[in-house]
Amino acid sequence: MDATVVADEVSRTFGPVRAIDRLTLEIPQGVIYGLLGPSGSGKTTFLRMVVGALRPSEGQLLVLGRTMPDRAVAARIGYMPQTAALYPDLTLRENLAFFGRIYGLRGRRKLEERVEQLASDLGLLGWVDQQLYRFSVGMLQRASLACALLHQPELLVLDEPTVGLDPVLRRSLWAHFRQLAEQGKTLLISTHTMDEAGRCDLLGFLRGGRLLASDTPAALRRQTGQADLEDAFLALAGQPGIPVGEL
Amino acid sequence: MSWQRVLALMLRIVRQFRRDRRTLALILVVPVLVLSLIGYIYRGSGESTRLAVVEGNSPLARQVIALLEQTSSLHVTVMEREQALQAVGRREVDGVLVLPTLPVQPGTPLKVELILEGSQPSAAGAIISAVSRALPLAIIQTVSPDGQALQIEPRFLHGGPQFDQLDYFAPTFIGFFAFFFVFLLTSVSFLRERLQGSIERLIVSPLDRKEIVLGYMLGFTLFATVQSIVMVIFTVAVLRIHYVGELWLVAFLTFLLTVGAVNLGIFLSAFARTELQVVQFIPIVITPQGLLSGIIWPVDSLPRPLQWLAQALPLTWANEALRAVMIRGEGLDALGLHLAVLVGFAVAMAALAMVTLRREVA
Repeated sequence: MDATVVADEVSRTFGPVRAIDRLTLEIPQGVIYGLLGPSGSGKTTFLRMVVGALRPSEGQLLVLGRTMPDRAVAARIGYMPQTAALYPDLTLRENLAFFGRIYGLRGRRKLEERVEQLASDLGLLGWVDQQLYRFSVGMLQRASLACALLHQPELLVLDEPTVGLDPVLRRSLWAHFRQLAEQGKTLLISTHTMDEAGRCDLLGFLRGGRLLASDTPAALRRQTGQADLEDAFLALAGQPGIPVGEL
Repeated sequence: MSWQRVLALMLRIVRQFRRDRRTLALILVVPVLVLSLIGYIYRGSGESTRLAVVEGNSPLARQVIALLEQTSSLHVTVMEREQALQAVGRREVDGVLVLPTLPVQPGTPLKVELILEGSQPSAAGAIISAVSRALPLAIIQTVSPDGQALQIEPRFLHGGPQFDQLDYFAPTFIGFFAFFFVFLLTSVSFLRERLQGSIERLIVSPLDRKEIVLGYMLGFTLFATVQSIVMVIFTVAVLRIHYVGELWLVAFLTFLLTVGAVNLGIFLSAFARTELQVVQFIPIVITPQGLLSGIIWPVDSLPRPLQWLAQALPLTWANEALRAVMIRGEGLDALGLHLAVLVGFAVAMAALAMVTLRREVA
């Protein structure tokens, strides 16, 4: 089966800054791929290229078989940006209904069922008819995730989806992600926390726009001879002893 | 192009603004307040121009004073010379008319003095025009009390004696404020969407740029239309301005202008990074149009280079058309070029808005 995301020597520059530097990787269908790296390492830039919000400066980026950016695959991708990026004056139901119509979900009843289902999955039942400006950060994150999941995309691109969530909720979300992967969906998730990185099927270490390694967590540990993913990252970055957050 | 998606976008904007009371007030209440204020300024008949007359003893005096008193915007007081000069010095009156004391020495011309306070050109102008009208009439009446006085019989091709300054200005105020408020609303809200990232969510969705611009245009334009209708109804029903043309045409012209303002707002918001920067567009986009589009000074009276510039501004065409309808009663058939310019402006701005949206995926 074809890989869902294929990046071949993809670079992205902003003026003199090279945010992504000749990145090559493949993400097969049905896996959770974690992109691990400190802030400023290029995670968001890469995710934005994958969803078609940014054009690669060099190289080729294939997503679901199409060279990005290409609107033809837009309906097959779900994107959750780092900030909620929803409409605070509208209720959760109205936000979801809006994105539902944009993504071509037909039928009021079908849409309503989907809204209830997502609200229940994400612990937002009882909040469906509240305007989003009343939501806490964690609730906004989940509302934003609901919008990304709504149209049941084949590829889910989530930019730090669990920031600001309590551990219980975080765990339940990861269980949900796993379920989606088992259904054959592909998930590309950026994170900077090690415990989340450990839950991914495949992991890419990103630093300064360059992909230091891309493999299963176990293989990365083995390859670096480290028992801990953080140590593995540090070993690959060639700077042992510096916490990831300061890299 | 999917009309269902465009409709979804439009409905979302409508729903959002319906919840946003303050913005609704900006669209609907503020223009009404501003128009009320302008109406009150023009028609509130507060301070009229004050003229002191030093009577002298010529037989002319009574006639002159009687004629001046007929001028409604002029408040005439008879004073002694010294008192009058002090009053004008203290700005208690705007001018002093000193009528001659007889007899004068042979060889000296009969002198009528007019002393103007001068710091208010409009007051000075009003006095000069009233006195220049009254004096010759008074002379004729004095020389031949029974004879027919010279009478001016004005005949208006357009407008009429009942039309005042407000009637002349009101059509352009409708256009100007519609343009101003809609531009402000669109550019700020579109920028807010960029800042909160929701526009990126739309860009990576199946919506294409045409659909995004069209959806926003329709959503904002709906409010702009309601605003135009409110302003037209208010000026006609409450301010009771005189008009002769078709009101639907006034609303339609305002609507076309505001579609252009919406698209201009979307286009320009791409060049701002903060709300403050959007506000900085006002002196560039709004002020020149306010000055050059014929609201205060007729375009024909501007220096030639400014006339060319004025012709490039959409508000100039809208104002001309609005006056043509409301004052001269012209119809759609006479306004082809004006409509074409307004539609052209709206389409051009929509195209530019799409180009700047494309830049988002840079």
